[in-house]
Amino acid sequence: MTAPAILPARGVSDRLTGVFWRRPNVLLALLGSLAALLLQSFYSIDEFSGVVKQEFTLKTYAELFRPQNLDIILRTLVMAAVVTMACAVLAFPIAYFAARYARGPWKAAFYLGVMLPLWSSYLVKVYAWKLILAKEGILGWAADGTGTSFIINGILSVPGLEGSSLSTSPFGTFLVFVYVWLPYMILPMQASLERVPTSMLEASADLGATRSQTFRSVILPLALPGVIAGSIFTFSLTHIIPQIVGDSARFIGLAVYQQQGTAGNIPLAAAFAVVPILIMLVYLALAKRAGAFDAL
Amino acid sequence: MTNAVEFSNVSRHFGLIKAVDGVDLAIAEGSFFAMLGPSGSGKTTCLRLISGFEKPTGGQIRIFGEDVSNTPPHLRNVNTVFQDYALFPHMNVRDNVAYGLMVKGMGRVARHAKAEEMLALVKLDAYGDRKPAQLSGGQRQRVALARALVNEPRVLLLDEPLGALDLKLREAMQDELKALQHRLGLTFVFVTHDQHEALSMADHLAVFNDGKIAQIGTPQDIYDRPATRFVADFVGSSNVLPPALTRALGGPEAWASLRPEATRLATTGPVRGRVTALRYLGSGTRVVLDANGTEIAALVPSGQPVPAEGETTAIAFEPSALHLMAGA
Repeated sequence: MTAPAILPARGVSDRLTGVFWRRPNVLLALLGSLAALLLQSFYSIDEFSGVVKQEFTLKTYAELFRPQNLDIILRTLVMAAVVTMACAVLAFPIAYFAARYARGPWKAAFYLGVMLPLWSSYLVKVYAWKLILAKEGILGWAADGTGTSFIINGILSVPGLEGSSLSTSPFGTFLVFVYVWLPYMILPMQASLERVPTSMLEASADLGATRSQTFRSVILPLALPGVIAGSIFTFSLTHIIPQIVGDSARFIGLAVYQQQGTAGNIPLAAAFAVVPILIMLVYLALAKRAGAFDAL
Repeated sequence: MTNAVEFSNVSRHFGLIKAVDGVDLAIAEGSFFAMLGPSGSGKTTCLRLISGFEKPTGGQIRIFGEDVSNTPPHLRNVNTVFQDYALFPHMNVRDNVAYGLMVKGMGRVARHAKAEEMLALVKLDAYGDRKPAQLSGGQRQRVALARALVNEPRVLLLDEPLGALDLKLREAMQDELKALQHRLGLTFVFVTHDQHEALSMADHLAVFNDGKIAQIGTPQDIYDRPATRFVADFVGSSNVLPPALTRALGGPEAWASLRPEATRLATTGPVRGRVTALRYLGSGTRVVLDANGTEIAALVPSGQPVPAEGETTAIAFEPSALHLMAGA
């Protein structure tokens, strides 16, 4: 039934690859959990007994549109969009420099600088930021010393960003999100910029384009797949960051966590979890229609 | 008539490396000019100096009499066909060709009409909607050509234009480029390391070596009367005779070149030697003799008797076929 292996399998990963190759339906097992999630979201919870009723219903999805739940979804959407944009703006010059100018040791320094933070624990980094942003933290101290506390106070007085310090303001949550997701934006961006040959930029200049025209018409479209790839990560906002830094307003991740843990409402947790998947699908479909993947 | 391109004592040094070193060059308007040389000889840097992607570290470059030494690429009336074509992968063929007009602010309808006109010129009328990835190598080359011509440059630069194509396509494109140049009456300057390409396409060529021009002239000049040993060696398959041998053949004591096709085999002659190699070329056979340590090749037309390897034979030629060269 199966063709004889041409190369002997070496090691576990080779054998595992072989298994998936010969029996692709094994891969379905990996998707199984996703299917279970989808299934759960169509059940509902009996509000009186708290028992999950295993009957098909859209009631749970309707619950997502209650004001407090809609609030969570919108907050997540806005945060993800703003974090994505900030990451893209910050990542672009770094990725561009690394792809076009960094050579030899500079390139190594770039990779080390971008990846090193990924090696330390996520929790440690978030707590470190809490300290940095706290009222008595280094940022506040430096602002006091240089007489620039009015900037921080200004940010904290913007409606929607209020807080006693940056570490309890949604702006703090935003900063930490940006910090955590920046590497995931830089790396795919750098990879897509690296594939743009110098001759393409020269061709653009040769045909009369100014630097900004070359940027808009050639570099940006060619980097776009990298930006999209990077932004997919930023949507998977975790629940830990807003619990530690910020005003404890809930995001989808936290809602899922609380619904399935504290509240025991697994159907609603599942329905919440489906939302970012849907958002991503719509987002990718729109990006594709807008031609973001034409350069692939 | 002013020259299309003129170099006077132009140099481009990268640190200690003299990529281009004191080059004087004049390319007449309407000519098909080739810059020939091995890799690293400075020919590509010269092309980039004309296009404006490199600035000279010394000397002066004039395009149609105007000093452009410090003019950026887009302000020169010059466009380039890049070696890797450098087509924009996210745009279709029409938008690629119209790019030069788009950045100038021409409206969509007008620039697309002009692009279609250019595509018709390179016989790709029906391909406007395709992406570059959907084209063959030869078609991409044509798109690159159309894109470079859309801005109506007075000089078209081509960097190894046919290097990536297979032999048959290359020959077809050679004829087509020549025809296109003739029709448009533009000045074409192209860089190549392929001597056959340079000799068959160009009406004038410059042979580069070590950042300098070794010789400049018509293909006939270069082929029949190479100025230096390097040129004789690099262009075609001439025999290079050391001074002692030239003198033994009745000439002065100087380096000389002798084309294999100007020789014939004979029973007696000034050059005698053992046959060390035979190479059948279709139109004839190349016979290599070892004459006292110097390898000399003769071309025996097909149909004539060919000696066997190891036999001793002689080569005869008209004295006028012996061409003397400068020392280098």
